[in-house]
Amino acid sequence: MIANEFEYRRPTTLAEATQVLAQHSGSVKVLAGGTDLVAWLRDDAIAPDLVIDIKAIPDLRDIKIDGDVLHIGSLVTFTELIESDVVKEHVPLLAEMAETVASPGIRNRATMAGNICSAVPSCDAGPVLLAYDTAVHLTGPSGNRSVDINDWFTGLRQTAGTDDEVVTHLTIKLRQHGGVYVKLMRYAGEDLAQAAVGIVAYPDNEYRVAFGAVAPTPIRSAVIEETLRGKPLDDDLVAAVVAMVPDEISPITDMRSTAEYRTHMTGVMLKRGLWAARQRLDGTGPAYGARLI
Amino acid sequence: MTTTFPFEAESTEDELKTVGTAAVRIDGLDKISGAAEFVDDMDFGPGLLHAAIVESPHAYAKILSIDTSEAEKAKGVVRVVTGDDFPYKFGMYMEDRYIFAQDHVRFVGEQVAGIIARSHREAVQAAKLIKVEYEVLKPLLDPKKAFADDAELVHPDLGDYTHVPWFFPQANTNIAHWRKIRKGDTEKAFAEADYVLEDTYTVPRYAHCAIEPHVTVSKLDQSDRLTVWTASQSPHTQRHLFAEALAPLGFTHKDVRVITPYVGGGFGGKAGVSMEIMGAAMATLVKGRPVKLRWTREQEFYNTYQRQGVIAELKVGVMNDGTITAVEHRLYWDAGAYVEYGANVVNAAGLSATGPYRVPNITNDSLCMYTNLPPGGPYRGFGYSEFHFGLESHMDRIAEAIGMDPVDFRRKNAIVEGDELAYGAHMNPSGLIEAIDKVADAIDWGTDEESDNPDTVMGKGMALFWKAPAMPPNASSASFLKFNEDGSLNITVSGMELGQGYLTVMAQIASEVLTVPVEKIRVETPDTDRNPYEWQTVASHVTWSSGLAVEKAAIEARGKIFDVIHQVYGYEDDSLYLEDEKVKCKTDPDFEKLLSDFVIDGIQTEEGTWRGGPIIATGKFMPEFTNANSDPETGQGGHPNVHYTVGATGVVLEIDKDSGRIWVRKAALAVDAGRAINPDLVTGQIVGGLVQGLATVLYEDMRFDEGGKMMNPTFTDYKIPTAFDIPDEIIPIIVEVPQPDGPFGARGVGEHTMIAAAPVIANAVYDALGVRIKSMPITQEKIAMSYLEKRSG
Amino acid sequence: MDLEINVNGEQWVLNVAPADVLLDVLREQVGTKSPKIGCERGDCGSCTILMDGRSVRSCLVLAVEAEGHDIVTVEGISYEGMSQLQDLFISTNAFQCGFCAPGIVLAATELLENNPDPTRHDVQDALAGNLCRCTGYEPIIEAVLAAAPARQEGDSQ
Repeated sequence: MIANEFEYRRPTTLAEATQVLAQHSGSVKVLAGGTDLVAWLRDDAIAPDLVIDIKAIPDLRDIKIDGDVLHIGSLVTFTELIESDVVKEHVPLLAEMAETVASPGIRNRATMAGNICSAVPSCDAGPVLLAYDTAVHLTGPSGNRSVDINDWFTGLRQTAGTDDEVVTHLTIKLRQHGGVYVKLMRYAGEDLAQAAVGIVAYPDNEYRVAFGAVAPTPIRSAVIEETLRGKPLDDDLVAAVVAMVPDEISPITDMRSTAEYRTHMTGVMLKRGLWAARQRLDGTGPAYGARLI
Repeated sequence: MTTTFPFEAESTEDELKTVGTAAVRIDGLDKISGAAEFVDDMDFGPGLLHAAIVESPHAYAKILSIDTSEAEKAKGVVRVVTGDDFPYKFGMYMEDRYIFAQDHVRFVGEQVAGIIARSHREAVQAAKLIKVEYEVLKPLLDPKKAFADDAELVHPDLGDYTHVPWFFPQANTNIAHWRKIRKGDTEKAFAEADYVLEDTYTVPRYAHCAIEPHVTVSKLDQSDRLTVWTASQSPHTQRHLFAEALAPLGFTHKDVRVITPYVGGGFGGKAGVSMEIMGAAMATLVKGRPVKLRWTREQEFYNTYQRQGVIAELKVGVMNDGTITAVEHRLYWDAGAYVEYGANVVNAAGLSATGPYRVPNITNDSLCMYTNLPPGGPYRGFGYSEFHFGLESHMDRIAEAIGMDPVDFRRKNAIVEGDELAYGAHMNPSGLIEAIDKVADAIDWGTDEESDNPDTVMGKGMALFWKAPAMPPNASSASFLKFNEDGSLNITVSGMELGQGYLTVMAQIASEVLTVPVEKIRVETPDTDRNPYEWQTVASHVTWSSGLAVEKAAIEARGKIFDVIHQVYGYEDDSLYLEDEKVKCKTDPDFEKLLSDFVIDGIQTEEGTWRGGPIIATGKFMPEFTNANSDPETGQGGHPNVHYTVGATGVVLEIDKDSGRIWVRKAALAVDAGRAINPDLVTGQIVGGLVQGLATVLYEDMRFDEGGKMMNPTFTDYKIPTAFDIPDEIIPIIVEVPQPDGPFGARGVGEHTMIAAAPVIANAVYDALGVRIKSMPITQEKIAMSYLEKRSG
Repeated sequence: MDLEINVNGEQWVLNVAPADVLLDVLREQVGTKSPKIGCERGDCGSCTILMDGRSVRSCLVLAVEAEGHDIVTVEGISYEGMSQLQDLFISTNAFQCGFCAPGIVLAATELLENNPDPTRHDVQDALAGNLCRCTGYEPIIEAVLAAAPARQEGDSQ
């Protein structure tokens, strides 16, 4: 039961949505899958006076490839990612990540774009989209714009998107790669990440390394990426970057985990993840979806 | 020397037809078709009102004022309720609670006021408008601090509280009950022992997490009859406590009716009375209108009973040949703000804290400490899971120290029939040795397993368990049984179908005696106006106790059936028997009479008159050999427990050395059911109980902040297992050493299956990594960090 | 607001507030009581329904979002007798208290419709969002595997 009442609108075009957003002076929330939003409404964590449901807007559900650019609409659910042939063929890492999100009943509704709009530190899409250098495309009263994912997460549950904008889609520039998403959970079932590592390995020893749930936002580690660049992976190199982890992250101790364990496990996941991403690039790694911890 | 039982149940030697078979549950279709109705599913029409509760944000505070004026004016509000409306106490074993807080609040979440409104939303919104002024006091959150001489008193009036005679509260302290056992001479035994191990183990609080939250609908009708529909394990106990607590309003037992349909899981959490009394009391203020009070999941965590935490100081002495000579067990229970039920958990643990071992010298001190945390209470295992963690960890450590195999050590000391118990009575027949051997076999005890994965190691563990029902000495059960025209049966009892399969087991017992197939027997959930008395569905006692009441009713019905046949045909009663729903005669093989021919309409005699009439019967059972009168200083002299159920658990697990993650590859659990009335349902208890027990050690625990507020009152952060978080393989083993006074030899198994889960993991983790963890839970994090510390020296 | 939805094959026109959650509307206005209130924040799965054939947490859906969608509850799949899966749940005593059963029946139904030959891991994954406190899941997993169309065909040959 949601105690606070609010107004509800369901625009059928992007133009209508942006118009409603622009005209509304009070607090407003955009509703896609609702698996975070409705829970927060129920918990009284938010109390908007207007909820705009964007699910009736067409053209936000595509998963398609245009040249070397992958386009994922903002209404694409985690289940759709898992079931998509395009994802399987070109970006199986997205499916590997999506499979760790909650459970089917949530994945059938929750969207990947919504996940990074909620922008909790543990959002599963965060580290992977960071590692892919994703672009986030928005539309608002002043037109369309895109934000580099590296500039997207601005603080705890804060993003570069403004209250009067709607995310329309995400794009990822594709090239040959291997990737991995390793997620630390308290058990094998449904859980939020206590720490997570997203890695993309490109040819010529080029890596993207991102972490989740170990800072107020998902983060990239330029230092680790730089250290790895151009060098063949070996035990010493891996040990060297694992040793950098404590300086690269700022985990907290909370009910879910201690900072010490988060730090320790981020190192363990980085080590196992780097090898798996490298091997997947080479076509020898564990199948996507295999759990490394 | 065993107890002589006044009632010897039906012979267990005869060939049994229904008992011992995996009959299909009689509630299966209801539950799988969506037809099963739980309290929240019942319709009460447009007059239904909704209640919301204002809760204390402080763990300990004096209430200075409550301003309800804004709330009273709010939209939809019908009535606002505070402690002034109900200055009445209640309690199961000790009256230490109020329906709504009076001058003090003693835990975060304690009910301070209530709103009754036309809609749930209006009730919740209005609750936010109530302003309560508090003088915040320093909370006591630790049971050992509560024990200190200079501790603040949580209940300054403890000395005046009414309680059962087997509790020993210490006035002007925080000790609500102190169960002592003194047997033999422990001091001398420790001095003479070859080896003594002393250590402390800690266990946090746990939540039951039935998936159905507590919910109650109450209605005082215009004739002043109070009916309460409730999700409860204890309809008659609830009626009794409602009638007692509300007696100042003029209620007597006959005016109070409790109706309990299907219950969506209990595990002890829905025993006794908790939030239901608020609903019942509030309804008395809005005559003619039903009032629904449903707990949110959060409230389910912080304002129902919780499993109590404990600090266990344990000292055990042994001889070099492995004989245990002395046990000293001092248990500081974090019993919470109100102990009206929880103090009996403390009592039960104190009586049995030696575990299933033969121990000549015993000093047990089980201390029920008031703290400013939510009320403790019954939880599957009833104190035994808590003390077994330390005890069974300790047994492994002692075996290692004296160079003995831990299974041999346990086998050597395992309690057997006739051994003297801590309080002086003697052990009932038990299959403990058989259970140990079968579990050891199932997990290939003695064979080391190697992992193929360089990141992981394997470990094995074993632990024993025992438990007796914890009940008042005169807790009783009753049943009504009636035949229908077609020879089918309706049985009413007041035990609760919590999921364990109680209704099906009662049907099987009646079926065995009367030969009516289970499919032709309906067993109804309770309505205290119509169903006969049952104390409560707790303590794993209903298969035994209610089962005996049903068996006696069935035997009485059979006697009446034979009487009718005797009257009409002259056969002697002892020549008659039942087979396939017919009466047959040993002396006349040609005679047979279908039950459906006469169990309602009777039998026509040759002269045209009729004999017989509807066959109805009653049965009751109360254990008549128990008593709770013992010396408060030694615990000797009484016979508080009816019998113990015993068993053993073993696991094989694999651990990731870096992450600490555990995979339970194999788990075996043997329990002595006496007689498995329905092996499928016993297996259900083994698998379900073991998984619930494993969760307490691997995943779950309640966390409280410095102010006593629960930090994880959601399934997001209180991690009960999902379908992924279970052992790869579970081997259920049913041992059957009959209980002489049990129905067909049966005794209860419901709680026992989770009791040894925690120590068995602790022992297997030690076996795998050499790390001994002495505090629960043993999470992957704790394992990883402990192992890191060990590796770094 | 007016809301038009199809529940178990029957068209309903209801009046709801935007803040009304679909679970509450199904239970209170439509009278389908098999979706249960367990946690109201998407953790337990006892409110599971099928929305256009896919399992959904009805506690995390605003009623107004369901406009024009087809909703199926356990009542809906039980009108014409039990499914193979339901029969197996009953005959193997797979459940205990039954409170989670409607959600699990639907989650497993969705799985078997999309995957006729699931592995144990697939079944665990499909059910991982539906909490059961009684059974330890094992009998449920075994019954779902036994009910899989591929297994059923195998048995009948």
